[in-house]
Amino acid sequence: IHSKMLADAILIVAISICTALLSEGLSYVLLYRTEDYKRLKGVVEKQSKRLERKREVVGEGLARPSGQKKKLEKQEEQLKNYNRDLTMVRMKSMVVIGFTFTALLGMFNSIFDGRVVAKLPFVPFSLLQGISHRNLMGSDFTDCSFIFLYILCTMAIRENIQKFFGFGVSRTASKLGSNLVGPSK
Amino acid sequence: TSMETSIWSRAFKRQQKWEDKDDLLDVIYWMRLVVSIVVGILCGIVPLTGILGIVFYLGISCGLIYAYCSIFQQIDEDEFGGMWEILKEGFMTSFAMFLINWILIYTACHFS
Repeated sequence: IHSKMLADAILIVAISICTALLSEGLSYVLLYRTEDYKRLKGVVEKQSKRLERKREVVGEGLARPSGQKKKLEKQEEQLKNYNRDLTMVRMKSMVVIGFTFTALLGMFNSIFDGRVVAKLPFVPFSLLQGISHRNLMGSDFTDCSFIFLYILCTMAIRENIQKFFGFGVSRTASKLGSNLVGPSK
Repeated sequence: TSMETSIWSRAFKRQQKWEDKDDLLDVIYWMRLVVSIVVGILCGIVPLTGILGIVFYLGISCGLIYAYCSIFQQIDEDEFGGMWEILKEGFMTSFAMFLINWILIYTACHFS
């Protein structure tokens, strides 16, 4: 059982890398190379940087002349709209990719059903055990299930793949994007 | 000029000027990733298990980044929005990378 375990674990890492590459590949074909996306992303990046620079100059929370405040609010509103348009453009390809990966994951889940693929050097706290011990027999919670290892792997490599291929969003844009979208979510 | 030198040639020299904040954050990101891999492998070999391993990782990774920023580079924290913003950089990805290495090496060394 144990000798197979390491082979399973390495296979799952390989699967995770392949699916992450596939996901980015699909995203590239369906989304990143489209004119709409490139245009909107460029606009969001530029507007975010402009807004960030303006905020630094004017100062957050300090009393500002009302003219400047209005201008800043208008620019924030503009950025919010651009971000919303960007989200709409991403929506279509996200659905396709989501569907593909649900199917893939379902297939892998059934292949690895009930198999202990690794031993955890820690006991996950009870909320996580639902994932880490999913579909496994017994009560040894250092047994690791496919899905837990897969999720960890994906978390570890997805951002790196995006950075490697330059697909990511700049820090300024993602920070401002989340700030503006946050409360209404 | 700082535009022409790559960020990596600056990363290993003391007290550099970081005009573009993202440059330093990139250095921190990749540095943290490498540290996470190394600490994960170490913890897997020894083995260091349980909460001790996690605390060890957090201590080393945050400690190293803090030391790099405030002692080696001597940056002005306010320019970056405080040390907390810097410590947050790439945290989830690096932590996941640490866990993966820890789990894999632990399984390989002690269960096969």
